[in-house]
Amino acid sequence: MKGTELVLRALHAKGVKYIFGYTGGAIMPIFDEMEKQKLFTFIMPRHEQGASFMAQGLSRASLSTDTPQIGVCMATSGPGAMNLVTGIADAHMDSVPMVSITGQVATGVIATDAFQESDVVGVMMPICKQTYMPLTTEEVEKTVHEAFYVATTGRFGPVVIDLPKDVQVQSVGEKYSFNPKTFRPKLPGFYYHPSPEREVVHQAIEMMNRSERPVMFCGHGVISSNAGAMLQEFAEKTNIPVAFTLHGLSAMPVDHPLSLGMMGMHGTVEANRAIMNADLIISFGMRFDDRVTGKLNEYAKNADVIHVEIDPSELDKNVATTVAINADVYRTLHVMLHDPELVSKPRRRWLKEVADNRKVTLDGVAEELASGVGDDGKLLMKSIISRLSDITAGKDIIVPDVGQHQMMAARFYNYQTNNSWFASGGAGTMGCSLPMAIGAKLARPDERVWSISGDGGFQMNMQELCTIMEQGTDVKIMILNNGYLGMVRQWQTLFFDGRYAGTPMTSPNYELIAKAYDLPYQKVTDLDQVDAAIRAAIDHNGAYILEFICDPSEVILPMIPSGGGFGDMIVSRPKS
Amino acid sequence: MTVKKMKRRAILAFVQDKPGTLNKISMMIRRKMYNVDTLTVCKAKAAGVSRMTITLREDDETKVLQVIRQLEKFTEVIRAKELDREQSYWREVAIIKFELEKKAFEKLQKKYQVEILDAQPHDIYIVQIAGPTERIDSFLKDVGSEHFIEIARTGVTAMDK
Repeated sequence: MKGTELVLRALHAKGVKYIFGYTGGAIMPIFDEMEKQKLFTFIMPRHEQGASFMAQGLSRASLSTDTPQIGVCMATSGPGAMNLVTGIADAHMDSVPMVSITGQVATGVIATDAFQESDVVGVMMPICKQTYMPLTTEEVEKTVHEAFYVATTGRFGPVVIDLPKDVQVQSVGEKYSFNPKTFRPKLPGFYYHPSPEREVVHQAIEMMNRSERPVMFCGHGVISSNAGAMLQEFAEKTNIPVAFTLHGLSAMPVDHPLSLGMMGMHGTVEANRAIMNADLIISFGMRFDDRVTGKLNEYAKNADVIHVEIDPSELDKNVATTVAINADVYRTLHVMLHDPELVSKPRRRWLKEVADNRKVTLDGVAEELASGVGDDGKLLMKSIISRLSDITAGKDIIVPDVGQHQMMAARFYNYQTNNSWFASGGAGTMGCSLPMAIGAKLARPDERVWSISGDGGFQMNMQELCTIMEQGTDVKIMILNNGYLGMVRQWQTLFFDGRYAGTPMTSPNYELIAKAYDLPYQKVTDLDQVDAAIRAAIDHNGAYILEFICDPSEVILPMIPSGGGFGDMIVSRPKS
Repeated sequence: MTVKKMKRRAILAFVQDKPGTLNKISMMIRRKMYNVDTLTVCKAKAAGVSRMTITLREDDETKVLQVIRQLEKFTEVIRAKELDREQSYWREVAIIKFELEKKAFEKLQKKYQVEILDAQPHDIYIVQIAGPTERIDSFLKDVGSEHFIEIARTGVTAMDK
C-alpha cells in the first residue's frame, strides 16, 4: 500500500466523512487516491483559509451530536499550507479539534528552497497542539491515528501533519502491519487527567456550602465536555447564578432564571456586578482571558476561586485559585452533583441583588429594541438580532463573524439549543463566519444555520459563496452593513476623539454579488421589512443573503474599557 | 536604564530525544519573553530520553511555575521541575585561553588547581576549570579580562541532591 492509501485508510477509520481541501503539486497524490476511492465527500473552498474554518465548523457543531466528527482540511505545500495558518491558530486559541494535512516537497529537496516549499512544521509549531512530519511511509498511518488522539484528548486542539510527496507515493514493505484497534500512541509526556481528586472536590463543596454570594462560570470546557445540561442541574440544585464566557454561551438556555448572560468586556451588568461582589467563583472550563477579567489586580477581589480545568497550565495562570481542580468538567460536575455533602441553599438575598442588577440596563435596552432604529433612522443591529431570536424562538445555530455584530449576537440572541453558537473568540478572526457556517451546516443538516457578518468580515471570505453555490449548502447569510469596521469605530468614538482612521469602508453591490453566485438576496433598510425578510430567508429552501443597512453610530454596551476594571464599566451611552 | 538582576532559576526537563523538541521549548521560552541564560542537553539514563537544564532569570515564583506547566504541556516533555538552589548541584565547565606571565599564573594555580590543557610559549595557556558558576567567574576575574584570548563555557548542568 502507498502512503496516500494509508492516509485515507486512517481517516476513514477515524470516521471522517468530509474533506475540506485545495489541491496543488505536493498534495495531488492524496487527491488522486481520494478520487479513486470515492469514500469521502470532498468540499473545495475557494481559499485554504475557508477550508480551515469549514473544518472547525464541522468539529464544533458535531461535538454535541451522536456522531462527533473531526474536521479535516488539506492543502498543498508552501502557500497552500500558509493560507491555513490563520484558521489553525484560531482553532488553537479556541481549543477546537481539527486535523490539517499539508503536502510537502519531497524529502530529498526539503530545505533547499524548492518550489512551493515552506517550513510548515516550523511555522505551525507554536500555533497548534502538535505537528508531525512522517519521513517514511511506514509511519504514515500511525501518525494519523496519533494526530486524532492528540487533537481530541484532554484540551482539544488542532494538529498538523506535513507529508512529503515521496512519502505519499512510496509503498510500505510487505511486512507492514498496523492494527488501529490495538494501537496506543506512545506519548510518555502526554498528560491527561480527566478524573477529579476526591480531596479537592470536598474542599470545593465545603466552600460552596459556606458561600453567601457565589457565581458559577460556564466556559468552553462545558460545551467541549457536553456538560451543559449537568451544569444547569447543578446550578438549580445549589441556587448559584451562572455567568457565561463567549464560548460558554448556549451550554444552557440563556434566559434561565439563574443565567446572568455573558461576562466580561461586553458582558451584562448583572454578570459583571455579580462577579465584582461575589465571595466565591466556581469556574468550569475557561481560562480567565483578559476580555473576561479586565484589570487583573481589581478582578473579583473579594472572591475565592475554584477553578475546574482540564489543562493544568491554565490553573493559576491569570487568576490565583483557592482550589484548583485539574479534571474534565463533565466528570467533575458529575461527582459534585452526587456529593451527599452538597447543600441546597435558597440564597434569597444574593439572588435578589443579582435580580436588581438586571434592571440597570433593562429599560434602556427595551427602549432601543422598541425603537429598532438609531438617531439617523437606520437599523440597529441589536434589534435585528433580537427579531431573529424571536422569530426562530432562539433555537437556530448562530455563527457570527468578529466585531460589534458578534457581541450583539452574543447578547441579544436567546440561545435555547445546546451548542448552537460558534464564534472566533481567542483569535478574533474576521472572515471566519461564512466558511465556519458551511462546516456547521454539514454537521447538523437538519438545523437552521445563520452566518452573521459585518460588512468588513464578510468581504474577507466572501469567495466562499462559491462553495455554497457549488455544494448547495443551506446557510442563511446576514450582512449587517454599517459601512464601517464597527467595533474599532466604537473604540474610536469612545477613546480616540471620534477620529475614524481606517474604519470607513465601501462595500460592493451585494445584490450583484448574490446574483453572480446565483443566490437569492434582499436588502433591508426599514424596520417594517425586517421580520418579513427573515421569514423569507427561512422559507426559502437553500442559502439566502440578507443585507441590513445599519446605524454606524450604534455601540455595544455595557463595555469595560480595555485594561480597565469592572468598576470602569460604561453602562450607558455618553451623550454627544 | 539599569536592569536589576533577577534571581537565577534552573529548570530540569526530561524530554523525548527527537528533532523539534529543543525548537519547541526554546520557542515557548522566547514567547514568555525570557532570555535563556544557559541551556544544556545530554542523553538521559533511559533510552530515547534527553535531559535538559535551562537557566533563566525570574523573581516571580508563579511565572516560573507557568513556564514549567507550559513545558509539561508539550507531549515531548516527560517531566519538568525547578531545581532548588540549596538542594541541588549546579555545575559548568569552561575552557579558557589567556596570556599571563608565568609567575602570575602560578599564583593563580595555587588557588584554583585548574587542569592545564596546553602551555604554549609566550605565556599562553589553555586551561580547563569546572565547578559552580561563581568559581569560574572568580577565576576569570582573577585572570583579568585584559589577558583573555578566548573563553568557552558549557552552561549549567544540574542535579538534585
